[in-house]
Amino acid sequence: MRIMTIIFISLFCFAGIAWINAGNKPSPIKFIVPPGWPQPLYNFKSNPLTKEGFELGRKLFYDEKLSKDSTISCASCHQQFGGFATYDHNLSHGYNNTLTTRNAPSLQNLAWQKEFMWDGGIVHLDLQPMAPLTAINEMGETLENVIKKLNRDTAYKRMFKAAFGAPLINTQKMNMAISQFVLMLVSSNSKYDKVMRGAAAFILPEKLGYDIFKKKCSSCHTEPLFSDFSYRNTGLKLDNTLNDYGRMKITHDKKDSLKFKVPSLRNVAITAPYGHDGRFFSLQNVYEHYRNKMVVMDNTDSLLLHKIPLSNYETGQLTAFLHTLTDTSFLKNPAFAPPGYDITPVFIHYH
Amino acid sequence: MRKGYFVIVLFICLATGGFTFIYKNKEATTAIHFKNLVGNKELKLFDETYTNNFGEPFVINKFRYYISHISIVDGSDKEINLSNNYYLVNEDDSLSKMIQLPAAGIKSISFLIGVDSAKNISGVQTGSLDPMNGMFWTWNSGYVFAKLEGQSDSSHAPAHSFTWDVGGFRARENALRRIKLNVPAGRSSADNVIVVQADILKWFSGAHPLKISQSPVCHQPGVLAMQIADNYSAMFSIAP
Repeated sequence: MRIMTIIFISLFCFAGIAWINAGNKPSPIKFIVPPGWPQPLYNFKSNPLTKEGFELGRKLFYDEKLSKDSTISCASCHQQFGGFATYDHNLSHGYNNTLTTRNAPSLQNLAWQKEFMWDGGIVHLDLQPMAPLTAINEMGETLENVIKKLNRDTAYKRMFKAAFGAPLINTQKMNMAISQFVLMLVSSNSKYDKVMRGAAAFILPEKLGYDIFKKKCSSCHTEPLFSDFSYRNTGLKLDNTLNDYGRMKITHDKKDSLKFKVPSLRNVAITAPYGHDGRFFSLQNVYEHYRNKMVVMDNTDSLLLHKIPLSNYETGQLTAFLHTLTDTSFLKNPAFAPPGYDITPVFIHYH
Repeated sequence: MRKGYFVIVLFICLATGGFTFIYKNKEATTAIHFKNLVGNKELKLFDETYTNNFGEPFVINKFRYYISHISIVDGSDKEINLSNNYYLVNEDDSLSKMIQLPAAGIKSISFLIGVDSAKNISGVQTGSLDPMNGMFWTWNSGYVFAKLEGQSDSSHAPAHSFTWDVGGFRARENALRRIKLNVPAGRSSADNVIVVQADILKWFSGAHPLKISQSPVCHQPGVLAMQIADNYSAMFSIAP
């Protein structure tokens, strides 16, 4: 009889443990594809979105401890109020008074992108965080130290367990969590989107601007993501202090010299400065480049061989239209603010 | 009666588990032991100055390479593919230089130096492929397949660095190389250790003569990386 009792008790314990573990399963988040948008390219099956994974990613994204001297987080250069780009800086600032050679791109709608960085050198979203974490002029830390720091933190141990079922902290899980957070940064609720859904109407300058946009800009800045994510030479002269040849750095092909990825124009009104090196401080600077200052080179995009003629009237109307791409529900979404805040506090930016 | 039944069931469960365990341990295995050499001297990191065929002196601080997609032909001519195992052989870590293979009487062994393109582009990997092992280019996604780093008086690079990091999985820059080694005949079938020697001097001379004074640094995929890969693909041999 005693053996039966033992077996019964063990079975009960197993069932109990299974039940408790089942109760701790992370709660899935459904990724919503805005109506009319293409299917996302990110493979969600390999990294299913969960509330716990998202919250962990959010904590990592805002944690300065990930940098060498605990001064810089992902959010230092990807600020919510600046469309997750850097407000006001042409080049991003890094560890120990360093400057990077590029303008931080806005983080939005990343699930629809295949390659990352201005030169597309990074081929998977999960691989992306390692570049800024380890670059000496960004966060300046080693992956080994980052993982060590996280392992010393009981809150992280708890959160990794909640998100992935085991307290194991490694590069893969860390990056998957960060991916989960940034994948949710979907901007699809601007005035433009409302107009497309029939829930709002353009005023006259916006409508005229949209017509100009469709005629002169949208072959590269394709709707609804406002980029086709291709690499193009748009007649940007080489800066001889940066020596940034863009896509050619990755492909080592002369044809790709000075080609950079077409940036999305969503939230463009608040993501100045513009260009891979932030050389344009305003939309007006950008118009001036395309209608006048650009240098047509051997491999300049065929659509730009005659530059883009734009009258002063047209630039005004274009500006009116581009402002309709500002998505305040995205910029002020409390779910994307640092943990514990309802909106990104301005003090998050120190340098 | 009931009690007896349970005891029997319990016994069968335990016994099956136990037998499986014993059986697994009794499976035929062969250990591959990687032995890194410079010429005919065993490699010592940091402390020894070696000379390549061009008379250039060098000291080695790091020597690592990935071995993957191992395929072996065993004593009964059966081909065994271990495509899911990736090994990082690291001179600094003696455990990493021993690989256990599930076969006996191995006749030949072939493997890739490096990491196949699929693993380069499908997110963050774990274990020996964890980017934390310092064998991953973060700014231009991809694994460093093999790494030979140190100093040389012949190097004009800052701090006389001599750093050859080889990788590249894209079509025109493919530095993946497959190695095939035949195990010398006449070995005792009971001998279950195969010593694979890797001669670093082959990195400099082989298909392409490569001087430290001309190219002290290789940090990206491309022509130089592919030339080094051609050279080092001839560095392996099986000790008699």
